Amino acid sequence: MKNILFIVSVLLLFSCNPSESWMYDGNISLNKTTPIGLASAIDGSTWIADGDHNQIIKINNAGSTILTIDSLERPMHIATQGELVLVPEYGMDRITMIEQNIRDTLSLVHKLDAPAGIDFYDDQYAIADFYNHRILFGSGDNWISIGKEGKKDSEFYYPTDVQVTDTKIFVADAYNNRVQVFDTTGEHLLTFGNNEKINAATGIYVSDDEVFVTDFENDRLVIYDHQGQLRQIIIENLDKPTDAIIKDGVLWVTNYRGKSISKFKKSKN
Amino acid sequence: MKNIILIISALLFITLISPSELSAQNNRDQITVQVDGLGCPFCAYGLEKKFKEFKGIKDVKIEMETGIFTFSYPTEKAITLDMIEKQVDKAGYTAVSSKITRADGTTEESKQNITELSEESEIVTKDIFVAGNCGMCKARIEKTAKGISGVVSAEWDKENKLLKLEYDSSQTSIGDVAAAVSKAGHDTKYTKAEDNVYEDLPGCCHYDRIN
Repeated sequence: MKNILFIVSVLLLFSCNPSESWMYDGNISLNKTTPIGLASAIDGSTWIADGDHNQIIKINNAGSTILTIDSLERPMHIATQGELVLVPEYGMDRITMIEQNIRDTLSLVHKLDAPAGIDFYDDQYAIADFYNHRILFGSGDNWISIGKEGKKDSEFYYPTDVQVTDTKIFVADAYNNRVQVFDTTGEHLLTFGNNEKINAATGIYVSDDEVFVTDFENDRLVIYDHQGQLRQIIIENLDKPTDAIIKDGVLWVTNYRGKSISKFKKSKN
Repeated sequence: MKNIILIISALLFITLISPSELSAQNNRDQITVQVDGLGCPFCAYGLEKKFKEFKGIKDVKIEMETGIFTFSYPTEKAITLDMIEKQVDKAGYTAVSSKITRADGTTEESKQNITELSEESEIVTKDIFVAGNCGMCKARIEKTAKGISGVVSAEWDKENKLLKLEYDSSQTSIGDVAAAVSKAGHDTKYTKAEDNVYEDLPGCCHYDRIN
């Protein structure tokens, strides 16, 4: 009987898998850089969009600047595609593509008004078109326009960032203070975030199992699963956050006012 | 000898031009606007973008920390304080103050407070609850209150939502201030903003309505 009890206890112990959460793991100072967007570079370094100074910079993991590309008009939430860096130029109403210092402009059939974010998956681009309150999705001559100004599902109020997976488009619907999810035909699937009283959902990052939303005015990072269930809210060591990415298992979050990056690692509670 | 005379003439010509004349020749007015609530870069860059609609605008600078927005504009276009404030409103902001320094050195400034006190004035200090969310709300609420003749000072606290007022009770009342603030889009303890005015506020100003 004792043995049976022992075995049951051991089984119970192992079945209670302690949950993991993101824990603070240090800070990278960026000196005068005011980071808005983040993207991983193909060589393991990181691109940062510095909106206030009209430039993007490439930093190594210690935070030292390796490369600066200037003369960009208010670069926002950038993305990388191999060697290529995709830069939404908010002040110029265009997406600039930069590869080894050669610049080109992404061809679009729609006119942008302050593009604030871009992402891509499998050669399909998604663009957060801030002042037009919509998301553009597609490539070449085939684009769809998702949403219009408003507060209902499928409507936006200043979308600032977008992330695409193989089947879904996740949107930071900034001043509706929420996230909206669509399929790749533009069909609305899910809305979440209002319960957490987010005040300006300025940036979004989607990993294999989580959705990270920067809550700018509240200095928080709100983390959900892909179904919109709340997993964690990080409230410390953030100062006007604007974007997040995961690099080698480490979560990087930009602090716009703090002029820094806060790092977090997953740890068992 | 001819060369010496030419050089002296040129030097005399340059020294006879005063700095203001040089400025006039520059033919550009310098504009400084202080805008409250410029915490979010998306909105600040949006403000900059809206002002680019003024053809001929140059030297645009925004200081995010202080909310000071500066630019230069061709003098012949005769920009006015009213035009500037309307464009700030269009971008969803409130101009706390604005100043134009003309190319000839003359200046024009917005008047922030219109209250003039008299012997009959009786200064009263009172708080009133005003709903709001952010720095932009604060700017709008305070500017509205200060725009009422009789209000001496107005300061809204984002945390406790109280608008601290000093006013001359012979000229205005707390009811006047509440009515004006609601007209600008903010519910108060006594008055409610029209739904369409509330809906037109910028997204970050959408506070929880008072029932």
